Amino acid sequence: MPEHATSQVSRTETGVWTPRIVGFLCYWCSYTGADAAGTARMKYPANVDIIRVMCSGRVDPELITTAFSRGADGVLVCGCHIGDCHYINGNHKTMARMPLIRKVIEGMGIEPDRFRHEWVSAAEGEKFKEVVTDMTAKVTALGPLNWPQLMYDRGVGHGHDLKPWGE
Amino acid sequence: MSDDGNAKGAAGNGAHEPRIGVFICHCGGNIADVVDVQRVASTIGKLPYVVDASTRTFLCSDPGQVRMEKVIQDHKIDRVIVAACSPTLHALTFRRAISRAGLNPFMFEHVNIREQVSWVVEDKEAATLKAIRLISAAVGRIAHLEPLEKRRIPIHPAAMVIGGGVAGLKAALDLAQRGIDVALVEKSDKLGGRMLELDRVFPTNERAKDLIQPLINEVENNSRITVYRNTELVDSSGVVGDFNTKISIRQPGAEAREVEIKSGAILIAVGLDVYEPHDGEYGYKQYPEVIGLLDLQKMMNPDGPTGGKVEVNGKPVKRVAFIHCVGSRQWSGLHKPQADGKINDYCSRYCCSGIMHAAVELKDRFPGIEIYDFHEDIRTYGRGHEEMYTEASEKGVVFLRYDPHKPAQVLTDPQGKAPLIVRVADRLTEGLEVDTPVDLVVLGNGLQARDMSSLIDLYRCSRGADRFLLEVHPKLRPVELAAFGLFLAGSVQGPMDITEATGMAAASASKAAALITQGFLEMDPFIAKVNEDLCTGCQTCLTICPYDAIYRDEEKEIAVVKEAQCTGCGTCAAACPSNAISQFGFTDDQIISEVKMLLGDIQVTTKV
Repeated sequence: MPEHATSQVSRTETGVWTPRIVGFLCYWCSYTGADAAGTARMKYPANVDIIRVMCSGRVDPELITTAFSRGADGVLVCGCHIGDCHYINGNHKTMARMPLIRKVIEGMGIEPDRFRHEWVSAAEGEKFKEVVTDMTAKVTALGPLNWPQLMYDRGVGHGHDLKPWGE
Repeated sequence: MSDDGNAKGAAGNGAHEPRIGVFICHCGGNIADVVDVQRVASTIGKLPYVVDASTRTFLCSDPGQVRMEKVIQDHKIDRVIVAACSPTLHALTFRRAISRAGLNPFMFEHVNIREQVSWVVEDKEAATLKAIRLISAAVGRIAHLEPLEKRRIPIHPAAMVIGGGVAGLKAALDLAQRGIDVALVEKSDKLGGRMLELDRVFPTNERAKDLIQPLINEVENNSRITVYRNTELVDSSGVVGDFNTKISIRQPGAEAREVEIKSGAILIAVGLDVYEPHDGEYGYKQYPEVIGLLDLQKMMNPDGPTGGKVEVNGKPVKRVAFIHCVGSRQWSGLHKPQADGKINDYCSRYCCSGIMHAAVELKDRFPGIEIYDFHEDIRTYGRGHEEMYTEASEKGVVFLRYDPHKPAQVLTDPQGKAPLIVRVADRLTEGLEVDTPVDLVVLGNGLQARDMSSLIDLYRCSRGADRFLLEVHPKLRPVELAAFGLFLAGSVQGPMDITEATGMAAASASKAAALITQGFLEMDPFIAKVNEDLCTGCQTCLTICPYDAIYRDEEKEIAVVKEAQCTGCGTCAAACPSNAISQFGFTDDQIISEVKMLLGDIQVTTKV
């Protein structure tokens, strides 16, 4: 691997394509749940990269579309179970928002399996592992999304979106 | 969000360029055995604004921290990324270290490459690349960070206790004994609450009045406690440290008087209600011989209306039946729901012990009395309670057990030997149907949350599915409500006996006293902020905030965040249709830049 390479080069360097999935996790339940999987030394695919937010209610639809437009093959949003939210009912807003986001994404021609919303508690390391494993398998089966190219083919999108991995 | 929301975007506005220091921890071999930390450091070291990227065997160790402080100073680093274990473990350690090096503690980003990388990814190459991606993302995010300060909220040195039952009295006294001024607000005209209705209480068998009266006297004679009786909560404003509650006090023959009470903390001790069986439930209100456990307490009380005689229809009672779980442990489909459609599916926790206690006392006071106990289960779990169960058995109480789906029936005695019979299929004798003639049926009626809608509206209390108020965490923060400065004292939180209620009240007083005597509350700075120029005053955020921490400035027609009340969930920032709200520490710019760097932005790869 060349010294200058950053992660995204790996997909071509190693010759095997594996999906890039962005995971937005709330700090109090799901992020801690992901930690629990680690503490228990569970093994799961390396494809979901976690971005920590304080509450899943912080996940602005724009963050999800940005991830897709920048080359993510899938997006996962995890929050506390209903009734367990550290912020009383922040996750109720997530619950209300996610089906709408799903509709928008599907309307853009993105397959439903590329977007997933799950409740993962701080104790559910096992569940987090299963979600990541299952989602990685499904997105792998779908293949690369390549949304920027998709948009370009349809005559929309910008230059920088077209080449998210560099010139 | 800025269109150029990548790491480079942060250099705009003429501000000096970020100088990022990246510290990668081996964690012994925990990380370094799987992740090639040298390769990570060399790759990350070439990213924009990264002036130094180094690795260390144990970054959290004292020498590790000292070294970090030196690197920060030598390289004039102004923001720090630590890639190590989970931030839940050591974020605070490293924030302190960078503070010591002279940086703002919030110019810091913690990347979890242990719990979320080296411990879960088997393939070394994949783990190394994942670590690089996550740290690149952090570079994107940290380039946009701004120095933040912890919020310090002053706490007014007084408490308000709502409810003058045993829990409220105990909490008020405990607070006063710590030198804190207390306003005790009681709805009725007297202090003492439900204990005023009781005779002897388990497990010590003391007279309730001997326990509650000294407590009332102590409260009334304590110069730090101001008691308000005949009150109604009218309005509340303010937040933790500075609550202002308006109460109205009823006065005989005069108009109600309004008083405003200022307090740093509020303890809620409004108690609960006893379940009132519906008409006909086990013959309740259908037969005069069917009463509740508290009615029996009144009868047995020598100072009560019957002078301690236990009689029905003018005749001494010779045969008594107790029925457990009335209004508790209900089954949907089997039991009639309450007005809100819910059933009481929980255990009321006092009734089994209360029944054993009453049975023993009846046996002691009325030799020859026959006692039959009808139950699904018996749960005498408290200290000294199982002994009462044993004593009841030894004194000849007869126990019959039924299936909850085939509950006991209370009927008129077809043979006319007694006023009533209790019919059960007794599981202890393989389902044998038994008719037991009795003179009196005592229902072990359970406990349920009272209507607290106005209280909940005033203070934004969270509530469990069982309608009782809900603590933040049952084990770790058992007496705090989610909104800061509100504490739960006693059975407002769920069914409790007196022992448990006073214990919880004492815990609540102690938590409130800790807050008040400290004098201030320190809170994370990750709160929401409204950009006045962008806000259209649409009020979407007002409806979405879980804490009621946003109000509308009617003059400017914009939303304003109440800083002390905001807990920093960021839900409003996500919902704002005009992008006018951002969350400190989690701004759109920061997160979007994080996403872009995570997915490999142009600038990153071309920088060699």
